[in-house]
Amino acid sequence: MALFTLQDISVAYNKQNILKDFNLEIEKGKLVSLLGPSGCGKTTTLRLIAGFLQANEGKFLFKDKDYTKVPVNKRNFGFVFQNYALFPHLSIFDNIAFGLRLRKISKSEIEKRVMNVLEIVNLKGFEKRYPQELSGGQKQRVAIARALVIEPDILLFDEPLSNLDANLRVNMRVEIRRIQQELGITTVYVSHDQEECFSISDQVAIMNKGVIEQLSDPASIYKYPETKFVADFIGFKNFIDFDKRVDHEDKIELSKSGYVFVIQKDAQMINLSGKIGAIRPDDLLIRAKDISEVVSENSISGRVKVSTYLGRSFQYVVETPIGDFTVNKEMTESYRAGQEIVLEIPRNQMVLVD
Amino acid sequence: MKKRYLYLLLLPGVLFLTIFMIVPIFLTIGTTFFNESGFTIQGYLDFFKDRYFIEILLTTLRVSLFTTIICILLGFPAAYYISKLGKRTKAIMLLFTIFPLLTSPVVRSFSWMVIIGKNGVINKLLLSMGLIDKPLDILYTPTAIIIGLVHLFLPLIIVTLVGVMENIETDLLKAAESLGASRLAVFSKVIIPLSVPGLVIGSILVFVGSFTAYTTPALLGGKQRVISTFLYQNAITLNEWQVASIVATIMIAVTVLIISIMNGLAKKLNPKG
Amino acid sequence: MQEKNRGLALFTFLVFLFLLGPLLIISVTSFEGGNILKFPPEEFSLRWYENIFNVEMFLISFKTSILVSLAGNLLALLLGVPAAYALSRFDFKGKTIINAFFVSPILVPGIVLGFAFLRYIVGTYQLPIYAALFVGHTVIMLPFIIRVISSSLSNFDFSIEEAAESLGASKVGTFFTVVLPNIKSGILAAVMIAFLESFNNVDISVYMTGPGVSTFPIQMLTYVENYFDPTISAISVLLMIITAFFMFIVERLMGLSYFTKR
Ligand SMILES: Nc1ncnc2c1ncn2[C@@H]1O[C@H](COP(=O)(O)OP(=O)(O)OP(=O)(O)O)[C@@H](O)[C@H]1O
Ligand SMILES: [Mg+2]
Repeated sequence: MALFTLQDISVAYNKQNILKDFNLEIEKGKLVSLLGPSGCGKTTTLRLIAGFLQANEGKFLFKDKDYTKVPVNKRNFGFVFQNYALFPHLSIFDNIAFGLRLRKISKSEIEKRVMNVLEIVNLKGFEKRYPQELSGGQKQRVAIARALVIEPDILLFDEPLSNLDANLRVNMRVEIRRIQQELGITTVYVSHDQEECFSISDQVAIMNKGVIEQLSDPASIYKYPETKFVADFIGFKNFIDFDKRVDHEDKIELSKSGYVFVIQKDAQMINLSGKIGAIRPDDLLIRAKDISEVVSENSISGRVKVSTYLGRSFQYVVETPIGDFTVNKEMTESYRAGQEIVLEIPRNQMVLVD
Repeated sequence: MKKRYLYLLLLPGVLFLTIFMIVPIFLTIGTTFFNESGFTIQGYLDFFKDRYFIEILLTTLRVSLFTTIICILLGFPAAYYISKLGKRTKAIMLLFTIFPLLTSPVVRSFSWMVIIGKNGVINKLLLSMGLIDKPLDILYTPTAIIIGLVHLFLPLIIVTLVGVMENIETDLLKAAESLGASRLAVFSKVIIPLSVPGLVIGSILVFVGSFTAYTTPALLGGKQRVISTFLYQNAITLNEWQVASIVATIMIAVTVLIISIMNGLAKKLNPKG
Repeated sequence: MQEKNRGLALFTFLVFLFLLGPLLIISVTSFEGGNILKFPPEEFSLRWYENIFNVEMFLISFKTSILVSLAGNLLALLLGVPAAYALSRFDFKGKTIINAFFVSPILVPGIVLGFAFLRYIVGTYQLPIYAALFVGHTVIMLPFIIRVISSSLSNFDFSIEEAAESLGASKVGTFFTVVLPNIKSGILAAVMIAFLESFNNVDISVYMTGPGVSTFPIQMLTYVENYFDPTISAISVLLMIITAFFMFIVERLMGLSYFTKR
């Protein structure tokens, strides 16, 4: 059962639609990330859920009640800001106690709950300090503690880790996931960082221009993107727009300009209508072409256009009769620009998208 | 090399201010502590025994205090409103605030003579509405001075507070809201405490400014002396330079005292940030 | 999205009515046709504007004020620009103290400063009134010049100076070819703010009057003490027009942040 639902939401700034007929349902206890390019509306969605923003159209349902018009301070949702937004005039203790005091909770209870949450975020002993006396990671943990202590029904994160350095980011995301699972808080998490989203989420929503293109568990998104945008966004850099598609019992036959490719039918492959093939640079096979070689099924001959050294591997841009391909290959063998080669697409590595 | 360059740049200004400001000020202060027979504080002792002077000092302090309080009460909400406006409207409102600030204090005080004078706008209005039957005496009273000073310094406190309030991150207000704070709670628990530095600076400017202002009490105060008009009277009309020097020293001392008290207060109110 | 609070809006409106209303009222009274200053005026005329030019002391003191403010401004620039540059460009021991020193003329009560000038600059140093006015006004303009220019230098990227030097410019040459052109608008704004500050000054000029010598605001004060007619209203309107003009130029040159930062 969905804990909350965004129903046909539209949001516009200056008459320009940022979200249009937006729908999203999130189940209790799940961590769902919103992922997408800059400006696609992630923050807007989050602010809408928080109540900072009113939708022009549509409804926000929380536990099946209409929450569309409920003001922020009556929603009891925790919000963790990118720049922490700690109150500079209050100590760590008072920052965390802020929400509790507004709820007229007894002094001893406040003390107990603040200390408890400080322990959860590993900040015991810091309660007397002020925000300026903490490091970025510590500030973020205070921000999380402050949102957690009010026992929010939903926890919202807007790029909480983007101001931290790489190592700390990894530690903090593990921490966030641990806390979220321990307490079973329904969470919406916005980030730019794919790895971050995939590693901590139950579900990932890939957004593009104010629309969710795909919402599934991280593994499915990674393996079976449904649209060209999603595929491109998560690293399927090569696309073939096929002319023809023939479905067989256990395989699909596709062709473009006379070249024929076959892919295995897979139970998990959801998208059965697409005619665009997508494949990651790492999954293409490349080899030098023998002079006499006749190119077989799923292969195509081409010529190396650009060769770039990437450290662990080489990246080649290969020119073929059906377009350019980007291929990554471990550095054992390298090909020069201009060299004739053969590309092969393994039967189980290409997906079809819209 | 770099050092010499630096001194060359600073020296002319430093020398100029020293000769033409620091020396005269210190000489003014210094002479009050000496008479023919050497060091003395007799001048000050006589002064603080003088009922007339004490009266003037207290009136001035009272007028300054009222002015400061009224400026805060009027300025704080207005500044908050302005700080929340969109970019364009805010710029326009700021221009409306800065304009009086840059306008001649003679013009501004004079405008109140037209309004609160015996035949002024207010009296005419009240008479014609039948609310009073003889004109009110507002002009040439301490009240008139307070009105004029509030008019003089209100823009200053608004502009200072807008500057501070603009710098309060909106995320802080949102954070408070998401934790359950109503608009009033956001105002009292976040905006007010974070505006304390601006409030202190603004109050210092208004209080010290009111305490030492000359034009406004000279035009609106009539026979009612305040410390600055008293100083001028002694210096020019009465030619009592020794008395004038003592008054000047007291004014400097009070100014320094007020600034340090307010700064101390600011530290106490806001230990961090 | 926007916060709607009618009570607060109304309150702010009233505050601005209080601030600007009086200025509006005297502007209206300047067009009085009769002999007595009153609001609202009975008939329209421009005779009080004409009257300004009939009072000789207004014309003389206006010239004095302009001269003193301009000459003082020039000296304050000569002293202030190098100081502001040094204070923004270099880090050195005692920088905060020097900074405070340069701003101190704002903190000393004007009426005290004026008295000290009278007693020592006019008295002991024996400077003539004109010279004393010039020196005194330079003192009060200096902090404004330094503050405004420092604020326009605060986001100046001094590495372009090194770039110029690496291309062969001398230190002084660099200042004139690279720094100065970039802070031109800051300097102009400083000049205008300091000018208004000096032109409107009463506290110091009130001590420095002599036979036939006084500044314009002092002349206005004297006039108000003797006559209560709309001449001062007419002058006020002219002064407000000049002030508004200066304010818009300053706004164009450097925005309004100078006024809100303290
Ligand atoms: N206050 C505003 N006024 C006008 N347009 C806005 C406003 N806030 C956001 N937008 C626009 O709405 C769109 C979505 O913004 P949003 O902040 O939701 O993007 P985002 O996905 O969070 O991007 P990022 O990853 O850069 O944070 C953008 O095109 C942005 O320019
Ligand atoms: Mg965002």
